[in-house]
Amino acid sequence: MAVDMQELVEDSVLLQCRVNETPCEEFIHPTTSLLDFLRENLLLTGTHMGCMTGHCGACTVMVDGSIVKSCITLAASVQRKKISTIEGLGEKESLHPVQAAFCEESGFQCAYCAPGMLLSTVELLNETPDPSDAEIRSALSGNLCRCTGYQSIVRAVRTAAKLYTADKETQE
Amino acid sequence: MNLRMQYARPRKLDQATELLDALGTGAMVIAGGQELMPYLNYGRISPSIFMDISGLAELEGIEETAQGISIGALTVHRQIQINPVINSALPLLSFAAAQIGGGRQVHNRGTIGGNIVAMHALYDIAPALIALRAQIEVAGNQGLRTVPLTELLVETDHDLGTKTLLTRIVIPAMDPASGWAYEKLKITEGSYGSANAAAIVLRKPDGDLQVDLVVGAVAEQPVDLTGPLSERLRDNPDTDLDEQIDAVCQAVITDPISDQRGHAEYRKAMACVVAKRAVAAAIKKIKTS
Repeated sequence: MAVDMQELVEDSVLLQCRVNETPCEEFIHPTTSLLDFLRENLLLTGTHMGCMTGHCGACTVMVDGSIVKSCITLAASVQRKKISTIEGLGEKESLHPVQAAFCEESGFQCAYCAPGMLLSTVELLNETPDPSDAEIRSALSGNLCRCTGYQSIVRAVRTAAKLYTADKETQE
Repeated sequence: MNLRMQYARPRKLDQATELLDALGTGAMVIAGGQELMPYLNYGRISPSIFMDISGLAELEGIEETAQGISIGALTVHRQIQINPVINSALPLLSFAAAQIGGGRQVHNRGTIGGNIVAMHALYDIAPALIALRAQIEVAGNQGLRTVPLTELLVETDHDLGTKTLLTRIVIPAMDPASGWAYEKLKITEGSYGSANAAAIVLRKPDGDLQVDLVVGAVAEQPVDLTGPLSERLRDNPDTDLDEQIDAVCQAVITDPISDQRGHAEYRKAMACVVAKRAVAAAIKKIKTS
């Protein structure tokens, strides 16, 4: 192999990114998933490991404001990007409006799916402040819940839409 | 198995093709990772090196060219759903991309190139791309070549993603007078289809219908019914259209698949159903001005 080609190939990757506004710099193995990077390297265990096949959505996080499934995202591919996890959404004392709405409407039972449901809801409401039920169900189709039967989740998203809009207006 | 997997992220297309050529077997191209990561997580693949192509600007962007709309292979499904150029020139593709399973997370990350290279029997958009007569641009150590997507589909042992790179997809703009539809029979909102069909229908000046019809999720590869259907319509102009579609499906779908979404006989029957629905819906959409 030509020398300049060899230089392109790395045994480990220096990953530089921002996670919940905090700059991170870590050497990682090239096959590390974003999920493992967050949970194992940064100890941010709020992002849940479900299926590792991209079906369940429990591992949903945001990359530059768009939701992705972190178990099927190569950590090396989020170089210099902004990652938001559930830990960055709200504080225990001051919940994010979407979190508050899910509490109010019992939008979870065991809550294993909750981190993913919440972040998917945030993306939906950022794009569609007043979604229809069909839009809510479509937006959450990448997140599976085995407890609620989804009715309370859809209700929670509807309430979240009201709270989120009100919250944004107050901030403006 | 190589436990020390390596990683490369070339910044130029010629670098990438040169590297693939130099690496030989064991290299695997990764973009969004939606196809490969599940296999990696379960130890089903163990490439000696992952070549991350997400830094290749040549594989990005959506442009209008003389040959049609040129879509970079790195374009994610979400962009295909909302991009104004694709919305107006290729509405069938925008709609089909919105039907892809796995939820918005997958739409935000999965690329059109990866979807094509994976060539999964159940994946959406391939039927639409074939009905739209898409061409693909492939870069390798021999340079760049453009081939019809259907040509790639007959090569069961293609080397895309291991020796060559899918760079762009070029699709002629749809005739604004045509009607189109994509029908997918599915169990839940985010699931794969048990049968799907893409149809584009144009009313010719003589009043006859030109029907482009491709069914998917029924055989190992999408089945293009366009040729056989057009012959049938020509030979039996007075027979009911639904009957003709049924007859063509029965004749052309010879090797239906069986999986947890249904056994072969059911799949073939459902392919007939979605094919008829797609054509009927497309006819309704024909602009009559």
